[in-house]
Amino acid sequence: MLSSLLFIPLLGSLLVVLLPDSRKNVYKWITLVACSLELLVCGAVYAVFDPAQADYQLLERFDWISLPLGSLGVVSIDYLVGIDGISLPLVLLTGAVMLVGALSSWTIDKRLKAYHALYLLLTATIIGCFIALDFFLFFLFFEFMLLPMYFLIGLWGGPRREYASIKFFLYTLAGSVLILLVMISLYLSVMDPVETAINIGLIGDRSEITDDIMRQVQFLLADYKIQSQQLVHTFDLRYMAHGGNYLPDSFLGPTGEIVIFGLPSRMLAFLCVFLGFAIKLPVVPFHTWLPDAHVEAPTPVSVVLAGVLLKIGGYGFLRIGWGLFPDGAAEYALLLAGLGVISIVYGGFNALAQSDLKKMIAYSSVSHMGFVLLGIASLTSEGVNGAVYQMASHGVLSAMLFLLTGVLYDRTHDRRIDSYRGLASTMPAYTALTAIAFFASLGLPGFSGFVGELFTLMGSFQSLWLPGWMTAVATLGIILAAAYFLWTLQRMFFGPLWSRTEFTGQLTDLTARERLMLIPLAVLALLLGLFPNLLFNLSNATVAQWIQRFSVE
Amino acid sequence: MFDENTIQNLLWLLIVLPFLSGTLSLLAGRRMNSRAGGVAAALTLIGLVLSVVVATQTGTHVLTFHTDWLLIPGRAVPITFRLDALTWLMLIIVHFIALLVQIYSISYLHDERDRYRYFGFLSLFIGSMLGIVLAGNLIVLYAFWELVGLSSYLLIGFWFQKPAAAAAAKKAFIMNRIGDAGFLLGIFLLLFQSGTTELTELSDLFVSNGPLATLTGFCLFCGCIGKSAQFPLTTWLPDAMEGPTPVSALIHAATMVAAGIFLLARIHFLLTPDALLIITGIGTITMLMAAYSALYQTDIKKVLAYSTVSQLGLMVIGMGTSNVTGALFHLTTHAFFKAGLFLAAGSVIHGVHTQDMRQMGGLRKAMPLTFVGWAVCAAALAGIPFFSGFLSKETILTGAFGWAGAQGGLAYSIPVLAVLSSGLTACYMARQGQLVFFGSYRPADPVGSAPVHESGPMLTAPVLLLAVLSIGFVFSGNPFSAEQSWFFRLFPAVGDHGGHLWIALLSISVVVVGGWLGWRMPVSTQSTSLSRLSEHNWYLDGFYKRLIVRPFVRLAYLSYGFDRRVIDKLVDFAGIGTVVLAHMIGWADRMIVDGLVNGASWLAHRLGNLTRSVQNGRVQSYIASAVVGLLVILWFLI
Repeated sequence: MLSSLLFIPLLGSLLVVLLPDSRKNVYKWITLVACSLELLVCGAVYAVFDPAQADYQLLERFDWISLPLGSLGVVSIDYLVGIDGISLPLVLLTGAVMLVGALSSWTIDKRLKAYHALYLLLTATIIGCFIALDFFLFFLFFEFMLLPMYFLIGLWGGPRREYASIKFFLYTLAGSVLILLVMISLYLSVMDPVETAINIGLIGDRSEITDDIMRQVQFLLADYKIQSQQLVHTFDLRYMAHGGNYLPDSFLGPTGEIVIFGLPSRMLAFLCVFLGFAIKLPVVPFHTWLPDAHVEAPTPVSVVLAGVLLKIGGYGFLRIGWGLFPDGAAEYALLLAGLGVISIVYGGFNALAQSDLKKMIAYSSVSHMGFVLLGIASLTSEGVNGAVYQMASHGVLSAMLFLLTGVLYDRTHDRRIDSYRGLASTMPAYTALTAIAFFASLGLPGFSGFVGELFTLMGSFQSLWLPGWMTAVATLGIILAAAYFLWTLQRMFFGPLWSRTEFTGQLTDLTARERLMLIPLAVLALLLGLFPNLLFNLSNATVAQWIQRFSVE
Repeated sequence: MFDENTIQNLLWLLIVLPFLSGTLSLLAGRRMNSRAGGVAAALTLIGLVLSVVVATQTGTHVLTFHTDWLLIPGRAVPITFRLDALTWLMLIIVHFIALLVQIYSISYLHDERDRYRYFGFLSLFIGSMLGIVLAGNLIVLYAFWELVGLSSYLLIGFWFQKPAAAAAAKKAFIMNRIGDAGFLLGIFLLLFQSGTTELTELSDLFVSNGPLATLTGFCLFCGCIGKSAQFPLTTWLPDAMEGPTPVSALIHAATMVAAGIFLLARIHFLLTPDALLIITGIGTITMLMAAYSALYQTDIKKVLAYSTVSQLGLMVIGMGTSNVTGALFHLTTHAFFKAGLFLAAGSVIHGVHTQDMRQMGGLRKAMPLTFVGWAVCAAALAGIPFFSGFLSKETILTGAFGWAGAQGGLAYSIPVLAVLSSGLTACYMARQGQLVFFGSYRPADPVGSAPVHESGPMLTAPVLLLAVLSIGFVFSGNPFSAEQSWFFRLFPAVGDHGGHLWIALLSISVVVVGGWLGWRMPVSTQSTSLSRLSEHNWYLDGFYKRLIVRPFVRLAYLSYGFDRRVIDKLVDFAGIGTVVLAHMIGWADRMIVDGLVNGASWLAHRLGNLTRSVQNGRVQSYIASAVVGLLVILWFLI
């Protein structure tokens, strides 16, 4: 079932490529149908998912690459996908945002074939990131995502698109290199207990594996009883998350005391992974690619970028950074939360200073993603649940915000805040939806943003790792959010109607297609705000298990 | 007695009804214009009836109802309703005044193009306010607290085309947000200390002493500072008068701004003596400053706005001196007479089409009903015997003197300043009466202005009804003491609130002097530094602009400059550095690595040439070399 999430957009992409150019009006329909199907399958996944179960579900696994390397053991890379309560909300979010983005792509009018093929390819790689449970597979998607993104910004973007796309590409690539290093060291340090058990003859094939046998293999490993030729190394994230599967004295072994640059190797590895994903989230001071990318990207790409792409950073924190290196996360909790708070406040101040609507929203994203980092770094149930919630919420709201910017840009090709005044008089529906999106984003109760911010702040305040003043500083973020959103609302929408003369007559209210994109998102934000348990029910069990690795006895 | 389930469903109905009506009205758009007011008022009437039913079922019991809302491992935030005497009293006040205001608005905003929006927002406000009143969990209370801020924003900015209205709306929301941030931290502090935000559980668990508890209390009080416009977050409320006048009556006089007082009543048991002292101090500063600011205002609504701030300060003093009953009593009487005053002012504005009191005068003849309503409410506000305000104010003053007696020394300054402020109250109300209703009519354009008429019954009836409810006998049979009033039976007071004759005499004489001075204040006063201080509300706004707003905005631009010029430049430099490095490596590659390769190939070339010259195709030379080779080999072998 999960694999179809990958293959639907891939097949769609292939179809777009194969169809001749004379059929170019069909491309957008293919994208739309593929994304609708994708969302349908997401719905099916949601229906099948058992929220009471904390472990991975709907697993699909094939041996992919298996290569004996003599004394280095056996290389094995699996095609392994599955979801749990942390990834499911993000998968659902991806389904929804990609569909909205597909609708928004209808305004694209040049190089349609390439655009739609790349868009569908992007969909597949993003979904792939969220469902891959093999680190190698994850990394493959993570890297591959850059390709469509690079071209989508670089070919269909604004005037400085080349600069923005290269900056985006190199920035993320720099992060990936760090992740790659850690991935390889992890690989060398971790064994696959199942394959190893087969190799040393404990069981005949995979189906016979039990928890006891796994434990037995782990004991053997710890006692140096397994020869290195028989060890099967793995990229499986499930095994990487378990300390028993680490080779004793290996580079990243839990007891390993290897010191590099004055840091224990595991700490260094954690920081590398953190940095890699921090660029993606983004965390101040690694955020400057974001405003540029957003300003230059076409509307649907901005929607995808803010709506889902940033969440891969947060997801990477949960699954890989914090998930594989809980010791590092606990060690650096203060630093990480501090970066989160800096992102919140710094992003807020920068948003206040913007004169370009899209840039303002881009910086507000930086601020809102700071809450995600703060929540995760708090290592509390409230904080982590809140962070997952905030990611989903921000996905919906930022998609909405960028669509709203796009509405204006489509009409006038001008996004400067001071080019408009009193828009409420001529575009009432647009104003209403903008006001809803702004208030929801500034954390008004009843909308999703409130719950995410409340819980991340509550978590950081309750956290044993963090001092209380950090939360106090972070609350400055919610005041700043009110300031920059309401100031924008006042400047652009209220007062007597005025705009640059060349726009007269162009400022028409929302079209049916635009309403179709925006209203569902607004309803979703409202639903999530009124019934937060819709989402918490999905993540509760997994987060409860996830958080246990940080519980203090 | 209904069973608990029925009551819980009733409470849900109470909250959902206005939200539903508001949403419907907003979605329906202009089609709803003609009916929006009627529908909303009808629903409020239903709500009022339900509230009375709930009240009769509850009496002085305390009931709590839980509904699951937020559930994660280790933390549950249920939606809790708390139903006690305070709840149902507030339910009735909110519904009653909202109903009057809605009826009034139907007529007052008759020519408005977007009435559906107005009534929709108003319904949202009622729902949110009821949420605050019913909430038994501080997080739920906070959620509705913010929603009230939203509806206040929307209603202040109802005439969004007016830049002043848009600015006032933004200012109100942001200033409230500042208070709310403190409130939220207070809730977190409570949660941290006792693990719960349920009011019922807190009263069992929370130990209220020590500096941490004081800090908690102060943080919670921040919410009140924002919403009830206490010093230093005062300045949004006078600006909020940009909204339609009925809104000012309902939200910015009777109910929303009183939410801060309500909050203090709910959390009073958490407050430490130190926190209470801070609260009393802030209440006193607010009361005195705002009363002085009201003195020289020329806008009819601004006088009332500052008066509201000042009266809220008085209520805060009541709370700070642990006189919860007195403060709540004043909240109740104030809700009626201040709403009455605003609606009367609205009626006047409706008649003369200006808010400038200097252009009014002599209206008691043209608008007799409005005048009577105004006069009764003003008497209540000024604290004249036989009117409700006298009773409630005396209660607070008596409590404050009693509190000062217990504290001793400097503490006496607080009741003394409160008495002084009540003199100022009488002064500015007398001035308003003199300017608006007495003397002669002074329109800006004496020739072109039409004669003034009394407003219609839909405007005057609510004013008169509120005036009737501002008469002292409604609350107490004894016009000089509230001790026997029904209010005190409902909320038993602790301590001494008896009618101390000397306090009553003192305050009456101060009121008389104040009133007389206000009556004698000339229409157009010469501008002195003292009058300007009052007109500009102690220059607080300019002060904030210079001290907070501008530095903040400047900081924002600085931070953006830093982002562009430092962080981003570093990134660019890293990029450029890499490119430069790449070029250097490229050069090295061409010159050194390539040079070596080229050198090698050159060498090979030369060697090739050399060997090629040997293979020249001449058989003789082949044979010669073969012979030489053979000789060499033989040489080695032998």
